[in-house]
Amino acid sequence: MKPLWKRLYDWVDERVELVGLVEFLGKKYVPVHRHSLWYYFGGVSLFLFIIQVITGILLLLYYKSGEELAFESIQFIMSKVQFGWLIRSIHSWAANLFILAALIHMFSVYFTKAYRKPREMTWVTGMLMFFLALGFGFSGYLLPWNELAFFATKVGTDIAGALPFIGKPVMVFLRGGEDVTGATLSRMFGFHIALFPGIFTVLLGIHLVLVQRQGMSEPLGFEGEPTTERKTMPFFPNFLLRDLLLWLLVLNILAILAVIFPWELGRKADPFSSAPAGIKPEWYFLFMFQTLKYIPAQVLFIDGEVLGIVLFGLAGLLWTFVPFWDRRSSRGERNRFTNYIGIFAVIYIILFTIVGWLS
Amino acid sequence: MAFVKQRPIHIILWIISISVAAHGTLALAQDQCRACHEAIGDTPSTLFKRDIHLGKGISCADCHGGDARKEEMEEAMSKSAGFTGVPKGDEISTLCARCHADAAIMVKKYRSTLSLEQAELLSTSVHGKLSITGKERIAQCTTCHGSHGIVGKDNPASPVYPPNVVKTCAKCHANAAFVRTYNPSLPVDQLDKYRTSVHGMRNAKGDAKVAECASCHGSHDIRSAKDVKSAVYDINVPATCSTCHSSANYMKGYKIPVDQFEKYSKGVHGIALLQKHDLAAPACNDCHGNHGATPPGVQSISKICGSCHALNADLFSKSPHKRAFDQKNLPECETCHGYHDIVVATDKLLGVSSEAVCSWCHGGAPTSKAHLVAKNMRHLIDSLRSSESAATLLVDEAERKGMEIGEARFKLRDARQARLESRTMVHSFDEQQFQQIVDKGLKVASEVSEEANNAIEEYYFRRQGLGIATLIITVLAVSLYVFIRRLERRQRTKQ
Amino acid sequence: MIGNIESDMANESRIASTDESKRDFLKYVLGGGIIAWLAAVLYPVLAYLNPPKQGEVEVSSVKAGKVKDIEKDSGTIVRFGNKPVILVRASSGEFRAFSATCTHLDCTVQYRKDLGVIWCACHNGKYDLAGRNIAGPPPRPLDEFKVIVQDEDVLISKKA
Repeated sequence: MKPLWKRLYDWVDERVELVGLVEFLGKKYVPVHRHSLWYYFGGVSLFLFIIQVITGILLLLYYKSGEELAFESIQFIMSKVQFGWLIRSIHSWAANLFILAALIHMFSVYFTKAYRKPREMTWVTGMLMFFLALGFGFSGYLLPWNELAFFATKVGTDIAGALPFIGKPVMVFLRGGEDVTGATLSRMFGFHIALFPGIFTVLLGIHLVLVQRQGMSEPLGFEGEPTTERKTMPFFPNFLLRDLLLWLLVLNILAILAVIFPWELGRKADPFSSAPAGIKPEWYFLFMFQTLKYIPAQVLFIDGEVLGIVLFGLAGLLWTFVPFWDRRSSRGERNRFTNYIGIFAVIYIILFTIVGWLS
Repeated sequence: MAFVKQRPIHIILWIISISVAAHGTLALAQDQCRACHEAIGDTPSTLFKRDIHLGKGISCADCHGGDARKEEMEEAMSKSAGFTGVPKGDEISTLCARCHADAAIMVKKYRSTLSLEQAELLSTSVHGKLSITGKERIAQCTTCHGSHGIVGKDNPASPVYPPNVVKTCAKCHANAAFVRTYNPSLPVDQLDKYRTSVHGMRNAKGDAKVAECASCHGSHDIRSAKDVKSAVYDINVPATCSTCHSSANYMKGYKIPVDQFEKYSKGVHGIALLQKHDLAAPACNDCHGNHGATPPGVQSISKICGSCHALNADLFSKSPHKRAFDQKNLPECETCHGYHDIVVATDKLLGVSSEAVCSWCHGGAPTSKAHLVAKNMRHLIDSLRSSESAATLLVDEAERKGMEIGEARFKLRDARQARLESRTMVHSFDEQQFQQIVDKGLKVASEVSEEANNAIEEYYFRRQGLGIATLIITVLAVSLYVFIRRLERRQRTKQ
Repeated sequence: MIGNIESDMANESRIASTDESKRDFLKYVLGGGIIAWLAAVLYPVLAYLNPPKQGEVEVSSVKAGKVKDIEKDSGTIVRFGNKPVILVRASSGEFRAFSATCTHLDCTVQYRKDLGVIWCACHNGKYDLAGRNIAGPPPRPLDEFKVIVQDEDVLISKKA
């Protein structure tokens, strides 16, 4: 008598012919070396995204968009819905952990130069997803319609409005009007649950297919070692099981955070009151926010804020297109220059985030 | 001529007497105004004979101008001689102020102790406003002081002699038609009311020490009662009354206490008005009356307190205490709460302990109905207070633990409301009614406590749930890890 | 030597059988763990999906009720966030809404049909139907709220 899973497999195989797929998957190997640990962060990011989708859909069952109801509906979820507090706190914590995991994933890929040919598109789709993740964070933050979120959105869209030429139309587009109002809330809600997830899913699909097709990138030194010396492990089931184990631990961490450090609700937004003192954005925007504070109001003939935004924009652009200008890595050569840039970026971000947090 | 041998002192005396006589004759010769006008016997000159200014050597020409030495009218009262005629409107006060506001004249020359600021004070006072003609101020110096027979205010002939002040003010202020042209809502019965008061009655008998219009309202610096600088502005009234009433010296012989202001300042009403500037709090006049000021009679006290504390007065009147108090001739609210030094009404006043006012009458008979009711009411109000604070503590704890407890906190308002209402209901001295209100509060407090307790339990439940979930995950993770190791071991041996 | 091989084989099979029992034990623990974990995840999710007794978020900052349900010349207290609001319908049919917190000592006011005023039970404070304090200790009028009648519903919101 065949075991259950074998019977299911055969049933599907008779109709779809899984043999080729299974063979292909069976051949996938993951290099094992001292930087293997970083391989897991892509999976962790994916796991956290899945958590966001699930908890997000659950929240959607009770959340009500709109100025009059948004805040109260989250209060309702936190106090009246069974385990509503858990779903909501997990959603808020996972958002932050997701961005953190994505950052680590991005930097580890950068430093191992995994973006080099043939994986340029994987890197680009990944970067686009990262920007979308920040967009998720920004749009989702406003949805409780509390004081902090209201003013953070105001400041954030103000900064967008400072861009040269396109600034004003972009700001009006983001806000759904001249000011941050209920219209902004509706708009952000639409971005958060429809537009961004749609685009993200497409990018994620491309990203994952590419990873499966091309396999894991090996660090530059790896190719130098003889084939027999190269340690690997099969993707199925070894790497996958280890991935699952890590996901399990991440889930536990989320549960602990949700119970011990529940996410606050704050006060309902009142557009007519003044901003609370010391308002600052979420930590993942903090380094940019803090940088803007240090740039003098006027640099030569350019407005300080505009200069800051443009510089960050350029930096982001260069970073996204690193596979195309880092020729040496594509050739398989070491490129100390990109390493230094990467180290500088990491230190800069960490430093300014800390400074922003403390001030 | 043979000169008698004179001593120097005689010579001096001669010189003096001749010059005095000459001066007198000269003076007589100089003041032709008076000479003529007295001859025709007109009112100003008749009055002027007794005028204080004349005594100081000031005469007609010093105010009206002109040449007092000339006999002929055309010369004496000519413009070229400086004659200004009868001053009109504001000219009058300006004229008076010419001397009365000048220190060089008043102090140096005449050694007067009078104030020099009357004219200025008048101009900023309510009487300094323009009259309905718009051409002059409402009142001039002469309006109150008279023009030609002016005497000092301690002189019974003066219109500003304390017993006379009232009539002087009433000339305008009791004239309804006149006052109406300025402020139709201003009362005109102050004098009538005043005459019913202790002040007014004594004043009518000639007592110059007792309060009259100017004592409270001021004389030159009279301001509307709504003006914060007025001596009769709500917040200033107690201080104004106490200028006389707190001075043991001044009040000697009147046989009334002089500690009212001191007591009042320490009482609830005094603190509310004088420290917190709560204009709703009563000043002396709110209970005693303004112009008809008299201490309220025993039976009317509750009506007076009840004009603000309506609910309490109402309940009291319907309670068994009303008859009892009337029989014993006890003043109603005052007996338990005091009158000037009213203490904050806390729960301590209720009950049968030594601090409670109920025990003054009902303390002796522990089995009497009254005693038992008082004891029970105190017990009930204490239990309400303690259950409300217990509920508040629980809600605070749930909130500190981060639980959503907004609705319960909202309900707590009702418990607080019941406590406030019960303090009013005490005055019915009806156990049943009182119990009803207290029960309402107790019910709410217990509901809130339950909700808060549930929230706190939920807090612990979540942590327990987390513990269990962590345990499950740990078991699963460990077994998964062991599984992976075993799998890899097998893979290695297969190779 | 044969004896050694024989005993080796016996040893191997013994080791193999203890290995197998270890394998079974692990499989049980793993399987059990997975089931327990699924339960620990599904229980909260399923409980969450079950709607609470108060079916949806009651936001009295919007709907106070239906026009036909509120009588003329009556008043009712409505919860606005965590503050009470009194909704009064005058005899003319017009709706007015005010903060129901008395400006004296924070008691909750009520509408007195017999007196035709908004009344505070604690110390006999009275407010007219424009919210002005007309008698008793209250020092200030009641804050007014906006009332909009949208189709059948009466909505209360903060006065801008």
